[in-house]
Amino acid sequence: MSVPLTANHKSLQSHRFDGLLDWAQMLSGAGLILFMWAHMLLVGSVVLSPGIMNAIAEFFENTGMAQVGGPLIFLLFLAHFALAARKIPFRLEAQGTIWEHAKLLHHTDTWLWVIQAVTAMIILIMGSIHMWAVLSDLPISAAKAAKVLQEHSGWFLFYLALTPLVHVHLGIGLYRIAIKWGFAGRAERAALKRVVTLIVLVSVGISVLALIRFWFMAV
Amino acid sequence: MARLLKFNIFRYNPQDPESTPHMESFVLEETDSMTLFIVLNRIREEQDPSLQFDFCCRAGICGSCGMVINGRPGLACHTKTKDLPDEITLLPLPVYQLVGDLSVDTGSWFRELYDTVESWIHTSKAFDPTAQEERMEDSMAEAIYELDRCIECGCCVAACGTARMRPDFLGAAGINKVGRFLIDPRDERTERDYFEIIGNDMGIFGCMGLLACEDVCPKHMPLQNQLGFLRRKMGITALKSFFKK
Repeated sequence: MSVPLTANHKSLQSHRFDGLLDWAQMLSGAGLILFMWAHMLLVGSVVLSPGIMNAIAEFFENTGMAQVGGPLIFLLFLAHFALAARKIPFRLEAQGTIWEHAKLLHHTDTWLWVIQAVTAMIILIMGSIHMWAVLSDLPISAAKAAKVLQEHSGWFLFYLALTPLVHVHLGIGLYRIAIKWGFAGRAERAALKRVVTLIVLVSVGISVLALIRFWFMAV
Repeated sequence: MARLLKFNIFRYNPQDPESTPHMESFVLEETDSMTLFIVLNRIREEQDPSLQFDFCCRAGICGSCGMVINGRPGLACHTKTKDLPDEITLLPLPVYQLVGDLSVDTGSWFRELYDTVESWIHTSKAFDPTAQEERMEDSMAEAIYELDRCIECGCCVAACGTARMRPDFLGAAGINKVGRFLIDPRDERTERDYFEIIGNDMGIFGCMGLLACEDVCPKHMPLQNQLGFLRRKMGITALKSFFKK
């Protein structure tokens, strides 16, 4: 059995920054969700036509948004990790506790949290690699992306793995924000789950279609 | 023919140096309307008088018989065997101090919780025992009662991932307790006062929104709505306190 104690400690004092950090965690997550959806639409536009994707990419580069915005998004990504990591157990003992807890409880939302934490760690590494690879080799163009993916199947597999991980993490994050902050109450929970599942499936679908389009694009 | 049910029950007596934690199996024939409360009493009466478990009211009111039933915290007296498979595993609730077998000390935990959240009406008015009780709207009384229905069985805390990882977390029962006083017009505490108690990672900002509390609560307390409401309320108080400095 676990610790016999204690809901209270004598030294319990107001940790004034906990609330602000929780705001920051939520807002950085919400910002990254919006960014990723915009990113998905940019890359997904290649399915319609590589010309559209090139035009959007050109717009972001000509206005300096890719050069400045890209590194800023990377900083936001790191900040979100640091904020959310406050809740993730890094010690093996606590990891064992939450794993055993999830296995015993058979509770979907508890498993969703485990998935959220595990995908976070993978996205931290793979997302960093992706951002470094893209931002250190601007400009972005459909033909260049297609060439890399076709010539190096490792990159294709890399993105085939990263895409669903990101959208699943995003979906769980969106659900969690709505639940934690009370935007969705008890009555809306089931419907919210269905809507978020649909969003995840559509997002993964668009992203995989884009990858397939790159794969078959004439270089 | 009635089902034969196999019960795997956690056994350990911390008071006995010879005792080691282990699982022990018992088999019983299922009867009509059988609850786990009936099962445990029959095992104790017919098979092993040393089996320890808590009960009092048999009716989901006292909150004594909370235990982990096939992985989920719940009340033994509320759980019918017909809703369970042939093999049933019973464990004591985690988080709380083990008394023995399935019996845990939720009382000490909740006692400390009351001290932390100061679980009483804070008022500067002197109490006049001869005066009529102060009136309030029915809707207000009902809203307070809705949050006061908690029987403190401890299931929400035992099911909480955060509480499992950090022992200083107040859990849904504790946070809900604050919410109950927050809406009570007789309590003169301000939002800042409540913020001092739950406006931190031991309170509402420690909640990770896993909602196992909501899903296991045997009294179906509105914990999800309450946690969302208090996070917004305390979040706004956090911003106000920051910008007012």
